Amino acid sequence: MIAFSRKPPVWVLGLIPLAAFAIALWVGRFGVHWGDTFRVLFGLEGPSDVFRALILRVRLPRVLAAACVGANLSVVGASFQGLFRNPLVDSRILGVSSGAAFGAALALSFTSHSLWVQAGAYTFALAAIGLVMMIGMRFGSSALVLVIGGILIGALFNSFLGLIKYVADPLSTLPTITYWLLGGLNGTQWSDLPLLLTVSGLGLNFFILLRWRLNLLTMSDTEAQALGVRIRGVRNAIVAVGTLMIAASVALAGTIGWVGLVIPHVARAWVGPDHGRLIPVSAMLGATTVILLDAVARTALPSEIPLGILTGLLGVPAFLVLFLRFLRARGEAT
Amino acid sequence: MKCRWIALGLIVLWSVGCIAQEATRIVDQAGYTVSVPSTASRIASVYGIGTYTVYALGGEDRLALAFYVGVKTVASASDVLLRWEPRLSEILGFGDPNVEELVSLRTDLVLADASRHLDVAEQLRDLGVPVVLYRVETPEALIESVILTGQVLGPESATLASEWIADYDRVVVSISEDTASLAEAEKARVLFLGTSLSTVAGGDMYQTSLIRAAGGRSVTAELTGSWNEVNLEQILRWNPDVIVIPPYGPVQPSAILENADWQALDAVKTGRVYRMPRLVAPMDTPVPESLLGIAWLASTLYPERVRLDLAAEVAGFYEKYYRFPLTQDEIGRIAQ
Repeated sequence: MIAFSRKPPVWVLGLIPLAAFAIALWVGRFGVHWGDTFRVLFGLEGPSDVFRALILRVRLPRVLAAACVGANLSVVGASFQGLFRNPLVDSRILGVSSGAAFGAALALSFTSHSLWVQAGAYTFALAAIGLVMMIGMRFGSSALVLVIGGILIGALFNSFLGLIKYVADPLSTLPTITYWLLGGLNGTQWSDLPLLLTVSGLGLNFFILLRWRLNLLTMSDTEAQALGVRIRGVRNAIVAVGTLMIAASVALAGTIGWVGLVIPHVARAWVGPDHGRLIPVSAMLGATTVILLDAVARTALPSEIPLGILTGLLGVPAFLVLFLRFLRARGEAT
Repeated sequence: MKCRWIALGLIVLWSVGCIAQEATRIVDQAGYTVSVPSTASRIASVYGIGTYTVYALGGEDRLALAFYVGVKTVASASDVLLRWEPRLSEILGFGDPNVEELVSLRTDLVLADASRHLDVAEQLRDLGVPVVLYRVETPEALIESVILTGQVLGPESATLASEWIADYDRVVVSISEDTASLAEAEKARVLFLGTSLSTVAGGDMYQTSLIRAAGGRSVTAELTGSWNEVNLEQILRWNPDVIVIPPYGPVQPSAILENADWQALDAVKTGRVYRMPRLVAPMDTPVPESLLGIAWLASTLYPERVRLDLAAEVAGFYEKYYRFPLTQDEIGRIAQ
């Protein structure tokens, strides 16, 4: 296993997302002096109403959402990789994202109101996982059954999504759906946040409390059971909570790939495979990455760059580097 | 400028000459040479924008199938549209054109979009159905497409085409005279939104030319391509004097005027947020009716300066090109 020679204490890593948070509040298309950013945040006199509205009503909710989405995707990715004993798994494995995408597209064909779109995405994300669980109940909820069920239900919702796109108005609805599917946080308002903040807060705490048990789940079912862990209950709880976190993220930000796959591997390369450290470090790195990429997405060009494109552009080379290091460690590449 | 009009005039004359023959050979906007039967009586227009040009040049009775911009079903059609085209339920089409359907309808000519229908056109040509491809995103291309449609439909339509060009020219020249004394910095800075609050028209779109023709400056002229997705910060940075919402899509002015985050914009402070009205065609797209779109936008930007009588222009256009008299109430929807 590749590991850094010294493992930094976790609280030091907590400073990284905070720094990213501060930078992200300061940068944007509309130039604001960093001093003004500081004064607005701490309620001091000075900055104009435009600056105040910009930072508190436009940037702050968006940066908070980015932090939650990044942390959720990474933590769920890390725990699912352990749970399914498969390093190539991310949050999309159980068909949740496909369900959410269909729900959002369905809502978008009737209204562009963001709360309805969120509600649609959330509802169908849960419907997708519900169907996967039903398959699991019928065929025994082993990891294999859940994965196959997830692929099937995901494919089903992808077809439904295709149908919605086919009948959508190519002048107005179709571009909106296409853009939504590329993923991004443009237009995030405070009113969009209650669900995401609540689910992320509870979910992240759940995973941090449960992080030691996750180590046991990476063993085979019989080994874990021999150690006295009620494997099915724990696995179902992790799948359920993970799904809620992914659904809340996808409902707001669309389907953002690669974060949930690559960040856990980066974290593993840094602090090792022990979930006790892996989970909090994944959360911090994930939050930092999405905060910074979203800052680029909204600042680099006059038009918004879809976040899903940026995560792919960065995620693919990052994955290759990690993979090369892995091969070298096994002596299969030079 | 003059040279271009003379050249266009010559093309029109040449086209009138050509139409005397059995089949007219024309070059469409994708560069294909098409042999159009002069007796084409079952035309399918699978390009919504092109459909409106067929109507404006008097070819509507020959349509066997027609796509319209943003009209999916008869149920979603407006009352004006239903009165304007009584055959709507018979000829309305929507979505991706189906080659077999087009052949089974015994169409003898298909009008299509060069940016989307190249494959379909190829198949239709193989089946012996002539296809005219349009590529319209600038005023020059619009004029070219009107001339082309005139050639396709026959001598009477070709005459209407040249009259429309004269009308278009008259409106544009009149507005440019009225706004000539404005320095570049005095011109209204216009933001043309799309179908959501974060979609704006890119610089290569017809909407940007429309704003220029109406004497304004598009704040999004620097953006390339079609619709662009932008964030509120960028809109605050542009700080437009006027915001125009297209006549399709769900956005209404109240969504902007009552939105707390948009209050810092000059356009919102002065209440200059408008949704473009629509009777038949969307006037912001490259259709003949867009000359009314230019007149409407100029009258909206500079009510004090522009001398054009918008109500008379609207009534005159519908009478002459659509052979469709409007009620006072309908005229008032565009000319308030």
